[in-house]
Amino acid sequence: MITDMLKKSLNKCRGYADLRHQKRDTFAVSVRDGKIEVLSNGIVEGACARVLVHGSFGFSSTTELQKRSIDRMLEDATSLAEASKLKKKRMVELASVSPHVDKYQTPTKTDPKKASREEVVAILKNVESEVRAFSKSIVSDSVTFNIIDDELSFVSSEGTEVTQRIVRCSGNVMAVARETGSIASASESIGAQAGLEVLKDTPLSNAGMIAAERAVKLASAKVAPGGFYNVIFENKLVGLLAHEAVGHCSEADLVYSGSFLADKIGKQVASEKVTLVDDGRYPNGYGTMKYDDEGVPTQKTVVIEEGVAKSFLHSRETAKYYGVKPTGNARAWDFQFDPIIRMRNTYIEPGDHTPEELAEGVKEGFFLKGGGSGQADFTGEFMFGTQEAVRIVKGELKDSLRGVTISGNAFDVLKNAEAIGKDFIMRIGSCGKEQTAYVGMGGASLRTKVLLGGAR
Amino acid sequence: MKLANYSDQAVQYCEKLGADEAEAYVQTVQTIEVVLERAEIQNERVKKMQGIGIRAIKDKKLGFAFTSSVDKGKMQEACRSALSLASVSLPNQDWVSLPEPQKLPKSPMGIFDKKAADAGAEEVISLVTRAYDEAKAYDERVEIDDGKFSVFTYQAAVSNSHGVEAEGKKTLLVGSLVCVAREGGETSSAASEYDVSTSLKDFSPERVGRLAAEKAVASLKPKAVASFDGKCILDPTVASAVLVQPIISSINADNVQKSRSLWSNRLGQEVAVANLTLIDDGLLSKGIGSSSFDSEGVPCQKTLVIESGTLLNFLYDSFSAHKENKKSTGNGHRAAYSQLPSITVSNLIIKAGTKRLDELISEVDKGILVKRFSGNVRQESGEFSGIAKQASYIEGGEIKHCLKETMISGNAFQAIKYIIEIGSEIRPTQNQTYVPPMLVDKMTIVSK
Repeated sequence: MITDMLKKSLNKCRGYADLRHQKRDTFAVSVRDGKIEVLSNGIVEGACARVLVHGSFGFSSTTELQKRSIDRMLEDATSLAEASKLKKKRMVELASVSPHVDKYQTPTKTDPKKASREEVVAILKNVESEVRAFSKSIVSDSVTFNIIDDELSFVSSEGTEVTQRIVRCSGNVMAVARETGSIASASESIGAQAGLEVLKDTPLSNAGMIAAERAVKLASAKVAPGGFYNVIFENKLVGLLAHEAVGHCSEADLVYSGSFLADKIGKQVASEKVTLVDDGRYPNGYGTMKYDDEGVPTQKTVVIEEGVAKSFLHSRETAKYYGVKPTGNARAWDFQFDPIIRMRNTYIEPGDHTPEELAEGVKEGFFLKGGGSGQADFTGEFMFGTQEAVRIVKGELKDSLRGVTISGNAFDVLKNAEAIGKDFIMRIGSCGKEQTAYVGMGGASLRTKVLLGGAR
Repeated sequence: MKLANYSDQAVQYCEKLGADEAEAYVQTVQTIEVVLERAEIQNERVKKMQGIGIRAIKDKKLGFAFTSSVDKGKMQEACRSALSLASVSLPNQDWVSLPEPQKLPKSPMGIFDKKAADAGAEEVISLVTRAYDEAKAYDERVEIDDGKFSVFTYQAAVSNSHGVEAEGKKTLLVGSLVCVAREGGETSSAASEYDVSTSLKDFSPERVGRLAAEKAVASLKPKAVASFDGKCILDPTVASAVLVQPIISSINADNVQKSRSLWSNRLGQEVAVANLTLIDDGLLSKGIGSSSFDSEGVPCQKTLVIESGTLLNFLYDSFSAHKENKKSTGNGHRAAYSQLPSITVSNLIIKAGTKRLDELISEVDKGILVKRFSGNVRQESGEFSGIAKQASYIEGGEIKHCLKETMISGNAFQAIKYIIEIGSEIRPTQNQTYVPPMLVDKMTIVSK
């Protein structure tokens, strides 16, 4: 057993040390324009050591898994930690946690290990031909499906010993439509932390139809105008807002650097309709884990309650610094990275309005649809892409325009959140903060104001 | 053992298993990096990574498998996995073959630096300290937020059933620093700078520190201006993201063949202003994307893509080239052994003009200078919109003040017809493009 080998190596460590091992088994299929473009299977396996000596961290990783390489890795990490201590003013200390010995596995109905690869290929082939058959304007499309099956072990010099198997399945459909001289693409994704039942519970063909319909509609549409407008964020965009624009400001490492929420605990930072949560155990959430990568149990953390800032997201290091308990937010993308503070499943709790009721409150504005990518500064300033902007005139939905990037300060957007819908949805996401992390992002449609960076 | 021995072994084993053709790509990467977080050295990392990716073809059906071990047993398991995936795949009638061996050019000058390859954590820490000290010395209002300095040493080998066997190594140094400036309770937006180079000698952490600090201070006290359509000077990184990325997508032969490129039938036609010349040079000395061969073992080359505004060539890997009965341009690259080769630029260079940035500024009566773009660019249609960060307002040929909550939007394929001037200060960006500052007209500038 790899865990036993890691434990043996740990015996030799000086100071605090943790060792992680990961075996990531991936399966990927991509069907593009009627042809199988990718059919791949991969196994990436490795280990890493993180050592804390005299207030300083050192980290080392390797894909060589013999005892000798693991010992060498631990030695490398230790000497790195010792080398940098002279250059540091801030001494790292870790909040204490009681050691856990535990096992966890993503609950799955259809374990991907037993999946028939032929069946998955056949489903994708079908969806792909449906999308292409949707309209003559569709010139190209692709349907992809990925299984990522992680086996994770964590052992620490404090006696924690946790193994977890986290299974994630996700799919995406992309359609490209062309009209004379213009081209538009649209995409839609599905996915969850679950087994192959994802393909039954959220059929890829539904995602395919949304993408196909949108690409065709937008191929001949104009670009939305620029300016400051009353808008409704579709539920998919609200998840992005919760994560990207607000959530990052609550990450304690960014708080330390002076993020927007740094001095706001106990203060009103959003409309009282807004409650924002980062939940490490949301059922089937893409960012769900029972323990984070420091071996700390995850929990449901309320960041903003009825508009008032309540808590930050912590690692053991920042929890010690701020004198609170760790929240289980220290995560690492893989064995090549040390854990840093990341969100898990971040969402804004739903309200009780229907989308129609939300639109009724808008005289002139847009219903913004389709999550694109997003970025934000820790000041709360954000930007993200939208796929489609449906014009609203006197409370009624009109024509569709090509979506543009929207921007503003998240806390202004949330102060202006006048009404929240009941169409809650939890989606999958991938966040980049030096390293990638799979996260869940959730919310319901929401009425507010925002700047559209569109045409004039 | 030579790296190519592993790829040879894998290819032979696939053939033994009954593959019509097989290809193996082995890679090792050593990374030494130092991470700055909250103004302090947070972590140092030493990472050792290796792996092999195997393409097996049987009856025009392709399977791909990879593993992070070159241990014989695990490598053979990956070969069997690739073959078994090929058996459940569907035949691709466009498949001709893996590339045939060709004589390779000499390895481009200056892409492997022994000093960088031998560097230890101490050297990397000193790069960080130099950048840090320079930023702090620039102005007392400057605070360093985070940063990362990495030294990578890559080795790769590729073999296939037709006798392709190539092996090479290179080094890459990448460093970045994020600063903010604080004054009287105000915090500037985060300003980031970077440098990227293939050798320690050409890498300047001081420049990273100074430029990041300069940008942070310059973005204090922002003011808004009313929306207008007009001139924008795009910094190299911004020009690369906004203008060059859609071009890269459009010159990709695979996109061209699948009608995903607006330039599908535009070869020989004028697509941009006459002062725009674009070259992909896989053999550029000291080039960050240079190599004598691509990830399929095809020789890298220099390809003239756009000459004086006229579209001349697309970029090919061997699959897309075979489809048109052409030769691959040596652009079948892959970022890692775990990926299939796909058409990627080597070093895409926009030919520099003659004017410095300050000369470009002096030519603008009303416009903006954008040093950072945070937004979305639609590769196929060329539409872009996003926030202009570290952006300044220019009037009467002078920078007046920095801008607050300003967005820019437009269309890359239109914008390259409205390029007024291309600057002289060309620099490599992290997506393997070499771009100078560019002065472009008819951009939409939107503010609240």
